[in-house]
Amino acid sequence: MNAAPLLEIDSLVVKYGPAVAVDGVSLSVEAGERVALIGPNGAGKTSLLNGVCGLVKPTAGRVRLDGRDLTGRVAGDVVRAGLTQVPEGRQVFPTLPVEANLLLGAYGREFRHELVSATLRYLRRRGAIAERLQRVYTLMPKLYELRERPAGRTSGGEQQMVAIGRALMAEPRLLAIDELSLGLAPLVVKSLSEFLVRLNEDEGVAVLLVEQNAVLALELCPRAYVLEAGRLVLSGASDELERNETVRSAYLGGGLDVSLEDLGADAEPST
Amino acid sequence: MRELLQLVVVGLSTGSAYALVGIGMVLIFRTTGIINFAQGSFAVLGGLFMVELVDGLPRLLAGALSVLVVGFIGSLVGFVAVGFRRRTTPLASLIITLGIALLIASLNLLAFGDRPHTYPTFFERAWDIGGVLVQPQYVLVAGVTALAALLLTLGLQKTIAGQALVACADSRRAAELVGIDVRAVAVIAFAVSAGLCALGWVLLTPVDPVNYDSDVRIAISGFAAAAFGGLASIRLAYLGGLTLGVAQQLVVGYADEIPGLGQQGRQYELAAALVIMLVLIAWRSRHEVHE
Repeated sequence: MNAAPLLEIDSLVVKYGPAVAVDGVSLSVEAGERVALIGPNGAGKTSLLNGVCGLVKPTAGRVRLDGRDLTGRVAGDVVRAGLTQVPEGRQVFPTLPVEANLLLGAYGREFRHELVSATLRYLRRRGAIAERLQRVYTLMPKLYELRERPAGRTSGGEQQMVAIGRALMAEPRLLAIDELSLGLAPLVVKSLSEFLVRLNEDEGVAVLLVEQNAVLALELCPRAYVLEAGRLVLSGASDELERNETVRSAYLGGGLDVSLEDLGADAEPST
Repeated sequence: MRELLQLVVVGLSTGSAYALVGIGMVLIFRTTGIINFAQGSFAVLGGLFMVELVDGLPRLLAGALSVLVVGFIGSLVGFVAVGFRRRTTPLASLIITLGIALLIASLNLLAFGDRPHTYPTFFERAWDIGGVLVQPQYVLVAGVTALAALLLTLGLQKTIAGQALVACADSRRAAELVGIDVRAVAVIAFAVSAGLCALGWVLLTPVDPVNYDSDVRIAISGFAAAAFGGLASIRLAYLGGLTLGVAQQLVVGYADEIPGLGQQGRQYELAAALVIMLVLIAWRSRHEVHE
């Protein structure tokens, strides 16, 4: 048994020019685990994720997946190593049909340097990819019904499913979800949450859930980290965090002061 | 009436060549955010190579070679324009394509001189269709470009590689996140676009000779065609190209009847056609706002 965690982030620093978005964060996710990363808007959650997933080059620190160093690698390399991100705001390909969105998740995994060899690799694997697609349709039958519809013309919840399905097509070992609940109706969030837990328990895909909605995140994930102003301020088992006074007042519907502060943080997202 | 029909045929034909340039522009703009001003240079290179190659090779082979070579040059231009570094802004890229266009024009002047280049048309006689004399080369241009535009559209819709291009156009960030190398896709978009431009002038050169500095006229026309669809739609860029071509021919044909222009008006064919396009684009965008 490998003792190293699946994802290991060590003292990661992400800067946008002089602005420090992530200030030396270390955290880890074990294989098959569900972990939440919570914190107010502007705490640096998305920046941290983008630094890990290769959208931004970290200034310092290390990112390892399954012991392999992925620090500063491009997004494609991270996907191929087994970590796929479901981006904030879902970001489906709106003009393409749902099925094309899903298949591009598999295609992107084969994309190394250029289009021609990527396409050849994709075609060579098309049997396995078709099976994978069926698997995703079995997990999310709604996507099968919608497969011919342009992804932009589906509801917010359906787009979130497309985004998750697209990520699953890359056969990830770790799914990093940036804001599962943002802008979705409570009922939709509930069914997506249940789906996520089932996916994690039945398929063994580890989940790193980045959420502003702390109540939801702590309920879904047994373990959590709390990020504030680019630094980790707390971490531990979710039920303990739920009982923690600071967390209660700051994130679980506590004092008025803090929510006003949150509004202040809204105005400057990347700090 | 006969004259009008003749002008329309010529306009539709030259217009479809502009349409290809415009479609290429849309393809590049949507996948990269860059407005590529080297489009005209690709067209000129296509014409010039064809004139050289058709001397010793069968026409089909010469045409295919010209298109392929220009496509390759296009991929190099794309590689430079998109930038070796991660963050070359679209504006910087635009300036780079302008520079490359100037460079190619200068090289063409050195290599081919400053006289117009052309080669004999594929057909010996004009067709007489109900009294309207039609130069078959024009029909060839219109037909082949329509086919190319159709194939491109199908390729983008139906193949996974084409869908990857559309994905980059839809959301570059999401495309990057699924693992697609968006810069590699940009290079492909430049190559395809260059090939399309070259194809247009490989065929059009017998009836519309190219000069080393024809690139400006072609790039502006292509841009007008693309702008007709808000730089977003291949279908509308095609329509825009046809409209521009016909408008231009009508100005040429009826210049002396437009008060204040007279015979000299012909010199302003492109300017006049562009004014017409501007009015149409303004009208269209107003229309869209109201929808």
